[in-house]
Amino acid sequence: MDPVKTPLGKMLLEEITPVVMVLRTPLVEESCLKNSLSFIEMLSPFCDFNNIDVPVRTSSDQPYRLQKFKLRLFYESDIKQPNIMVAKERLKQVITEAGEKDRSDLSTDPPDISNVLESFKSEISPSWFEIFNKELVRTVSFSEHEAFDHPVACVSVVSSKDEQPINKFVDLFNTNKLPSLLNDGAMDPKILKHYVLVHDNKDGPSEKATKILTEMKNTFGFNGCHLLCINSSQDEQIEHQDNPWAPYNFDSSPSQNLGRYLNIDDFNEIKDLIQELSSKHIIPYMEQKVRVLNQQVSATRKGFRNQIKNLWWRKGKEDTPDSSNGSMYTYSSVESQIRVLGDYAFMLGDYELALSNYRLVSTDYKIDKAWKCYAGVQEMMGLTYFMLDQSRKEAEYCMENAFNTYLKLGSSGRQNATRCGLWWIEMLKTKDQFKEAASVYFRICSEELLHSAVMLEQASYCYLLSQPPMLHKYGFHLILSGDRYKKCDQIKHAIRTYRNAVSVYKGTPWSYIKDHVHFHIGQCYGFLGMYDVGVTHMLEVLDCSHQSKATQELFLRDFLQIVQKAGKSFEVLRLQLPVINISSLKIDFEDHRTYASPGSTSVKESVWCSLEEEMIPSLPNARTNWLELQSKLLPKYKESNICVAGEAIKIAIEFKNPLEIPISISSVSLICELSATSDETNSGDHNFNVDTDVSCSTSGIGNNEEHKNLSIILTTANLVFLAHCREIISDTSSFSLSEVNISLGGGEAYLVQLTVTPKVEGILNIVGVRWNLSGSVVGFYSFGTNYGKKKIAKGRRKAKQSPGNCLKFMVIKSLPKLEGFIRALPEKAYAGHLQHLVLELRNQSEFSVKNLKMKTSHPRFLNIGKQEDLDLEFPACLEKKTNVSPPANPKIASNGVFLFPEDLSVQGENLLLWPLWFRAAVPGNISLQVVIYYEMGDLSSGMRYRTLRMHYNLQVLPSLDVSFKISPYPSRLQEFLVHMDIVNKTDSESIQVNQLSTIGSHWEISLLQPIDAIFPSQSLIAGQAFSCFFVLKSCRKSSSTGESTSSLFPHIGSNVSLVPDGSKGAPFDTSNSPLADFHECERLQHGISNQVGNNRMTIKCGVCFLYSAVSVKPYNFVLITLFNQSCNTASTSPISWVVDAPRTRHHDFSTSFCEINFRMTIYNSSNARASIVIKTLDSTSVSDQLRDETSGNQVGWHAMSLAKDIKLESDALRNHVRKSLLPESVSAFIWSGSSSTRVQLKPLSTTEIPLQICVFSPGLYDLSNYVLNWNLQPVDDHENVGERIQSSGTSLGYPCYLTVLPSD
Amino acid sequence: MATTACFIIVSRNDIPIYEAEVGSATKREDAAQTHQFILHAALDIVQDLAWTTSAILVTEMLNAFSFFILTNKKYWLLQTLLNPLYLPGSRIVSSHFDTKVRALARKYL
Repeated sequence: MDPVKTPLGKMLLEEITPVVMVLRTPLVEESCLKNSLSFIEMLSPFCDFNNIDVPVRTSSDQPYRLQKFKLRLFYESDIKQPNIMVAKERLKQVITEAGEKDRSDLSTDPPDISNVLESFKSEISPSWFEIFNKELVRTVSFSEHEAFDHPVACVSVVSSKDEQPINKFVDLFNTNKLPSLLNDGAMDPKILKHYVLVHDNKDGPSEKATKILTEMKNTFGFNGCHLLCINSSQDEQIEHQDNPWAPYNFDSSPSQNLGRYLNIDDFNEIKDLIQELSSKHIIPYMEQKVRVLNQQVSATRKGFRNQIKNLWWRKGKEDTPDSSNGSMYTYSSVESQIRVLGDYAFMLGDYELALSNYRLVSTDYKIDKAWKCYAGVQEMMGLTYFMLDQSRKEAEYCMENAFNTYLKLGSSGRQNATRCGLWWIEMLKTKDQFKEAASVYFRICSEELLHSAVMLEQASYCYLLSQPPMLHKYGFHLILSGDRYKKCDQIKHAIRTYRNAVSVYKGTPWSYIKDHVHFHIGQCYGFLGMYDVGVTHMLEVLDCSHQSKATQELFLRDFLQIVQKAGKSFEVLRLQLPVINISSLKIDFEDHRTYASPGSTSVKESVWCSLEEEMIPSLPNARTNWLELQSKLLPKYKESNICVAGEAIKIAIEFKNPLEIPISISSVSLICELSATSDETNSGDHNFNVDTDVSCSTSGIGNNEEHKNLSIILTTANLVFLAHCREIISDTSSFSLSEVNISLGGGEAYLVQLTVTPKVEGILNIVGVRWNLSGSVVGFYSFGTNYGKKKIAKGRRKAKQSPGNCLKFMVIKSLPKLEGFIRALPEKAYAGHLQHLVLELRNQSEFSVKNLKMKTSHPRFLNIGKQEDLDLEFPACLEKKTNVSPPANPKIASNGVFLFPEDLSVQGENLLLWPLWFRAAVPGNISLQVVIYYEMGDLSSGMRYRTLRMHYNLQVLPSLDVSFKISPYPSRLQEFLVHMDIVNKTDSESIQVNQLSTIGSHWEISLLQPIDAIFPSQSLIAGQAFSCFFVLKSCRKSSSTGESTSSLFPHIGSNVSLVPDGSKGAPFDTSNSPLADFHECERLQHGISNQVGNNRMTIKCGVCFLYSAVSVKPYNFVLITLFNQSCNTASTSPISWVVDAPRTRHHDFSTSFCEINFRMTIYNSSNARASIVIKTLDSTSVSDQLRDETSGNQVGWHAMSLAKDIKLESDALRNHVRKSLLPESVSAFIWSGSSSTRVQLKPLSTTEIPLQICVFSPGLYDLSNYVLNWNLQPVDDHENVGERIQSSGTSLGYPCYLTVLPSD
Repeated sequence: MATTACFIIVSRNDIPIYEAEVGSATKREDAAQTHQFILHAALDIVQDLAWTTSAILVTEMLNAFSFFILTNKKYWLLQTLLNPLYLPGSRIVSSHFDTKVRALARKYL
């Protein structure tokens, strides 16, 4: 690419051109100002030649033709370094103007970043940068060290009206007024002079002027004089078709006035003047000067000798201090002359010559440490390289070198560095090195904010243009720039940059970045009064929980300020403050299921269902009654929920304040719509169509006059939703809503309870929730997420099954509803706590209900009493009454459902009270559910039945802990020793055990020791334990005799009072309700049937403790413990026996042998008839053999202990004893009588068999050498088929020692 | 001089998945935001790196770019993030990870 045609080339050809100093009299200016132009302004359009075509010969002999040429005209007063402050003001003005002129619509949404990338390069960065950069470059013009800004020629202009024009010409060149450049020796004061006489044709004919011209020519020489006639158009004003001044755009007046008195003749005259000045005077003058200087330089500096000389000379000056400016070089110095030579050659387009001279002088400056001059020359070298299009690297190196050198100079080089940087940037841009260009932009940022703002913005566009686009950096630099603009009050510029940044950071998860961008752009819009747009951006920063508290406060305060300034209320969909936790959304509504307390709904539906399973009518039955009826009414909404008119639907939803600062939220309410059933088809269509037919709904907003002042800032889909909401809100006649005001502290979450109560039948749809933040911003939240989108996408059929459907209700006619609660149910109780409670039911409506049923989830805890229990005095009612009447069986169906008496009516003021018995059965946290079923008295209503669900949470604390060990009573049949440990497990409670009772008729209880001996203190303090022993005695009769009584009085046990007599009243009756009922529940719980006569020897006994806590006197505690332990004996054999032999016997062996009679009692504990054979053995060897065989099958009392080691020990002992005894006792006694006895034994019966032995000498005898064979004959209708029954077995005798002593 | 460093792990699509500020300097109010801006802008260079280098490691690094150039730390982070159970884009919330990062920061800063 031709460097001349690049932007930088063009810029250089405009900026590095010969300067012409213009001196003029006030009258000249006056004539020109008639055209609203100064003299220079009038001439300037004609100073730019694109095709001047002048032959130029510089150093070489070959001339070349110069095409592009430009003169820069300046008044003498302007030829000086601009004042920094003035320059700054000027730059600021440029920026402000650009901001004002920026017509782009600030309020539109920021462009998408992909669109930005696709747009043309020229469109990306604003055009005013060029102007700004030009102004910036001009701030460093006319510096001493750069010759191209030094005037080449001087034009003196005098008006023909001036008196003594010749003198004026002389006066004008008065040295006092001339720029310092000429006076202080920085440049050659002898410059080319030209004299122009201006004649205003309006002032009369030009005769006088031509006369003066002749005079001038005589005085100043023929060539240097010229006459310029202007304002030739007589009287009429000329409208120029293409005004040559228009593109220059001087800021004084509208462009059509410019040059209004100048006609075509004037144009030509001006053109000729400049053409002549350039081609005939300035260019030849410069040529001449270049040639002369070149010769001089060649003579003094070129060649080896000169080089050496120069070096020596320079070395001598080495100790001169650093010179920051070029004042050490006067125009006559060689260095200055080389520089002038270079600059002239550059301006004449002889870049080779320029470059060689720049190179030459650059080393000189470097050695002299004249850094500013050095940098200037380096800069020019870079530009020359660029214009030559030779070495790109060299060019860049030179520019960088110059730039760094300028920077090293500190503040004095700052502006030069900026200009150098700008040129460098242009150079880089030409080569598409945008990334490098951007970094240079970044380097020319100064401390001055506005300046660096512009530079940073330009840098950002470079990043965008670089390949590949560096979007992150683009955004970052935009932010840096925008921040500076904002600080300089250049709000429009700030908005532009921030808007571009928004398109980069759209939807970024980098929270701090997002907050910064939106907050600042919001603020900017606020400053400009564009509150609507400001608020949209501010909304983005509200959810700023990651920020510090101070920042959060700032954000919220500014947001509210902008909202307030806007002076209207905003409606915002998905307002981020507070955060709505949609997963916490909980809907409580009552169809046929009603709830007694809010907590009841937290119980799983499956729990309720399993409870209700037994009570509610089976499904097909129900369907014919109400479901069908309903589906007939509204076939479309079969699947929707049902609620009852007049009954509130409760919605709980969590509002969370993400901030650390408190916020106040008012008027939280639901958004609902209720369409009456009559116009169901219309409204139904409307509901579904509102989102599909966008145009219809939006036009609806326009009609809505009352909401005119509301501003809507939403996308189309949201707009539709909002419009929809508004419509719904205005229509609240058919239902009532609750409103909640809350104030959320920092980080607080609050579960807001909202209700909607439909008043008429129809379809109720809960759309969402609305709230008012700080009184000015209305937030909307739609429960059906992406409300609009979903339905458009899915269509009507699918939308029905969407999760939002659970927010749709069919409202049916109002129905009776039971309300109920249990009076005084404790929340906390000790285990065993027994209390009399009352259930209270109420029916507010005038319609009656019937067929009440009730079921509790834990019958162990809550037992339904009898109606007559209602007025009982507790605990006196527990005491044993003298006249025991058989209890009437309560109406409890097989599955624990209690049926209330049919004649009950619950209606209006009529309360239904029903007694309940409460007993805290086991420690722990118990969730207690009670379900009451009832049917409508009026069959025509929408539902046939409803259920009332009650739910209570109980905490049951441990009280007494009982552990026990049962061992059979040695040598006594059907009696057991119980070792029981009781521990008080309460924290601080003392417990007094009052009474110990067995439940049921089968066992009698008695203490082994008197109570005073074992339990003297009578109360157990917390943590204390005590043990006691008592005896359980089976009083079971054979099944045939006991059957009738047991069914009638199933629970008659025996009592042991554990308190001294007299201190308590009558003992409590454990055989009566409610204790017996609870016992029944316990038995069911443990899977123990009430059946008697298991073939196992299992001890199954309910033992009831009645005790009371000392501090909680009025309450009584009942602990029901089930002894359910099978002894080893019983589990292996159903047959047990006891040998009832005397221990010692005195006998006089001198008279005869001794005959000893004793008895064996055999008990059959099985349900089968047993046949038993007892064989007595005289030979011990057989016995041993047998013992070995049946060792796994041993029966008898010896194995009564559960612990195995004990058994082993006893075995070992026995063996030992037997062995030691055997030799002695061989044939020491013989069994007399029959050697084998056979008996038949009925189930659960005992029999006695007489036995006899003969002893021949005194000694110790073991009566164990017998074998008991038994065989069970099962009863046909055996119930426990599954049980493993041992049908036959052989048992060895157990040791029974008999001591026979000789009697004296 | 007390310095503070911000350490951010960025996953694909420029999603920050872990942020930690380490160092002893007293916290400035706008430090967090400045850090985010600078690190976010630095991502360009990382992407540049990824384009100019064909090594597989670098492309992997894009998933788990660590601001620090400490090699061992970088690899260690890679290891963490190459966990197959890691869900792309989700934040690292493990407190164990946090303490480890901070300990390493104390060691090397």
